[in-house]
Amino acid sequence: MATSFQSALQNLRETKVWKSIFRRGPANTNRTRSLAIFGNLFLHWMPVKVREKSLRMRASYYLGSISFILFIVLFVTGIFLMFYYHPAAPNAYRDMKDLQFVVSNGVFLRNLHRLAAHLMVFAVFWHMFHVFYRGGYKPPHEFNWVVGVLLLLVTLFLSYTGYLLPWDQLAFWAVTVGTNIISAMPFIGHKVRFLLLGGNIVGENALLRFYVLHIVILPLFAFVLIGIHFWRVQKDGGLTVKPKDEDGKE
Amino acid sequence: MPAEEMGKVTDRMRFVFAVSSLIFLAVLAISPFKDYRREWKQYKRSYLRFAQGRPDTKRLTADYSPDIDQIWLPGMNLVDRCTTCHQGITQASLADKSVPEPFRVHPPIPHNVREWGCTICHRGQGPATEVAEAHESTLAWEQPVLPTHFIQASCGTCHQSDLPQTPQLARGRQLLAELNCQGCHKMQGIDRPAMLGPDLSSIGTKVSREWIYKWLKEPRTIVDKDGNVTVNGYETQEEPRMPKFRLTETEIRALTAFLSVQKARPFAPYKISPAVVATWSKNPELISQGELRFRQMFCSTCHSLAVTRAGETKLIGGDIAPELTKVGSKVNPGWLIAWLRDPQAYLPHTRMPRYGWSDEDLYKVTQYVTTKLVDSDLLSGVPKLDAPADAEIQLGHRLFAEKGCASCHVIEGLNPQKDFGPDLSALGGKNASELEFGTAKIPHNLVSYIQAKLEDPVSVNPAARMPQYTWNQADLDAVTTALLSMKGAPATSALQNLVVPRKEASFRATGSFAEVYERYKCYTCHKFNGYGGDLAPDLTYEGSRAQRQWLVEFLKSPQTLRPTLILRMPQFNMSDKDAATLADYLSMVMQHPAVNPAGVDAKQFTPAMATLGKQLYEVKYQCQSCHTIGGSGGYVGPNLNNAGGWLTPAWIEAWLKNPQALVPDSMEPRRNFTDEEIKALTAYLMTLRAGIQPQKTASNTRALAWGHGAGK
Repeated sequence: MATSFQSALQNLRETKVWKSIFRRGPANTNRTRSLAIFGNLFLHWMPVKVREKSLRMRASYYLGSISFILFIVLFVTGIFLMFYYHPAAPNAYRDMKDLQFVVSNGVFLRNLHRLAAHLMVFAVFWHMFHVFYRGGYKPPHEFNWVVGVLLLLVTLFLSYTGYLLPWDQLAFWAVTVGTNIISAMPFIGHKVRFLLLGGNIVGENALLRFYVLHIVILPLFAFVLIGIHFWRVQKDGGLTVKPKDEDGKE
Repeated sequence: MPAEEMGKVTDRMRFVFAVSSLIFLAVLAISPFKDYRREWKQYKRSYLRFAQGRPDTKRLTADYSPDIDQIWLPGMNLVDRCTTCHQGITQASLADKSVPEPFRVHPPIPHNVREWGCTICHRGQGPATEVAEAHESTLAWEQPVLPTHFIQASCGTCHQSDLPQTPQLARGRQLLAELNCQGCHKMQGIDRPAMLGPDLSSIGTKVSREWIYKWLKEPRTIVDKDGNVTVNGYETQEEPRMPKFRLTETEIRALTAFLSVQKARPFAPYKISPAVVATWSKNPELISQGELRFRQMFCSTCHSLAVTRAGETKLIGGDIAPELTKVGSKVNPGWLIAWLRDPQAYLPHTRMPRYGWSDEDLYKVTQYVTTKLVDSDLLSGVPKLDAPADAEIQLGHRLFAEKGCASCHVIEGLNPQKDFGPDLSALGGKNASELEFGTAKIPHNLVSYIQAKLEDPVSVNPAARMPQYTWNQADLDAVTTALLSMKGAPATSALQNLVVPRKEASFRATGSFAEVYERYKCYTCHKFNGYGGDLAPDLTYEGSRAQRQWLVEFLKSPQTLRPTLILRMPQFNMSDKDAATLADYLSMVMQHPAVNPAGVDAKQFTPAMATLGKQLYEVKYQCQSCHTIGGSGGYVGPNLNNAGGWLTPAWIEAWLKNPQALVPDSMEPRRNFTDEEIKALTAYLMTLRAGIQPQKTASNTRALAWGHGAGK
């Protein structure tokens, strides 16, 4: 049984279709196995070898993975929420109410998105502190540290732009205060604020801009940066920082 | 875990994985389970069970669907899902009290629920599908369902004119106007009365400083049988309009000082002929004669007196003008004589008519007022007040504006502060979070706030400048209703289109009529083209109804009126010229378009027709069950003793054809008389003559609405 399954798989891998997709035939040698990994967009993020130590809980507390899983949860629930949401006044707030009053499991859906967002901010921060105290910003990880910092900023912007979307009093005033802080920037503050809000007040234009930022621009940035981040983890030699690195010697 | 075991799957790990997977699944299942148990789904299922237990199941469940029901009116920006649970709202068979809520039918109203939705009247959160969210004030919703007791407020939000179905609202609006709330607050749709509080420009000539002191301390003078200063509980709706201000002793002294020097228009003293004084001053009948004249002139049509009978004090008389129980202790006697002779000289806009007085009557009545309508204890609590000092007058001058006195009372050269009180035109739509409750221990909702503020303004705001009013519960609720109806400008144009504006009544008297009309203040009681009071008959079509000669006689001597009425037309002692001017104007101008007084010639009536008419009157139609002729008959309709001298034949004919076409709210039944019968009845009525016997009296004795009534 097992043999026939394996031979069927073997035959499958010999087919033209398989080869056209994976650019490789059967991975029957170490070289072809390595090439299969390198030649695959998703698998090439993965290390060829993993140290058992780096899989330990204490090595990372899986904070990066937790952040990523939360991001996926947010991505999926966010798409569902988009089915029910209009970025316009007064529909936006009414759509929130409809999620509560009409949509089946709407409260669950929205709370999942909201809680996952809070948790993600929390997890990303913890991840950053953890990496910082473990000295993870030191060579050869400097570049990935910078990417990580950018990811933290993207996470915060996602959280902030999402905060306006319910279009309630909390959202309105949080964004009013936040954008007023921006306008305190010297020289360009008011221009930046105008650009962000699409006007001088938190109105329908601001809602639309925040919506586009929240569902298109920032997630795109996040995906690209996450890709680079994961890839560089492996390129920089795995996620654990070796004890000898902690002395500053290479 | 030792390093060599890393990567190996142990039984313990399998167990932990299995258990955590199950917990995870269970957690995920909570949401669908809660979804199934949602409140509205339970109400849906219970309605189905309820309907199946009734004989008319088929009709009750014809529109049933297990989903959310909603009334969606995009133009009004309204989504009401109330009918999801209130499923029997249009089922007439569910009217019985035994039908459990929320399935009972809506009581009949002029609007179709399906076309108007629910929250437009009841408020609450229409899109909500949970009981608490829909009805109450919650974290994210502050417009709870309006208590049914105040539901008329919702009628008033669109219907800015009064409806017969909303007496509570109408009373509230009337009170807002009457109490001159407009003096301090901005409000829409409430008339500002022409005369607010009395003009105080010359108050120093009218009353003493002591009396002002007493009045500011307690603006009521009548004491009930327990010695309490109150007017509530008397058989009258009247309440002194002056509220009680919270004033310190210094403030009262300052205000009395300031007011007692207001003598802008000193009255010209009038000396009653010494011959009259000599004849009457020794006459023991003087006072009782004065009282008789007071009654005969029907002063009590407008003024009331407190009368104590069998231990119960009642105010008897009209409530258009101040009650006069203790007026003898209030006013300066010289002022009183001058006032009675020419009220407009003291107050140009007063509604008090200018009577034609003989010295004899004037002497008798003023003697009666100053000796009988007095209370020697009235000023007993007042300390000795010296001549006002300049500093006191200055302070009083400032306080008069600061305390809001100037918002109601005119003093020449003193302007009221602008926007003295908050704008109330959108009060009825306010959220509880927009209101200041202070330390008051009351529920935090709009209705409680309004009532607490009205009952005791200081309870919600210790710094309130609003004075203290005295309410009975019905009036408090009425004013609350009127305030709740003011929700500001409608939010959408569709809602704007629903507003039924008030009909602006206007009537401009012209020529020599205007002068007489102003002098006798006819509009205080009578309506002209919709403008004026509603105490006495509407005179809009009086020219079509009454014969000119009858009008002249009536105006000169309106003494024989229906005995069952307390409020009657005063005896003005009108001159022939004035009576002729009024009668001419009424018969020329106040015409009904469909009635031509000259259109029916009285000469065409023959005695035979009159005989037939008499028969029809007495036998066929039995008019005597409501009307009186020659001392027998009913009192529902007017006395017809003098119908032939009073009414025009054209009016009688038009009236018999269709009384409601002439007076829409008339009680006269519409009988389908034939043309011949109408001619015969008119002929008969035109034969009825009984000297000068004016018959038609107030068909409507409702208290006069200040707001709709007098003034300019």
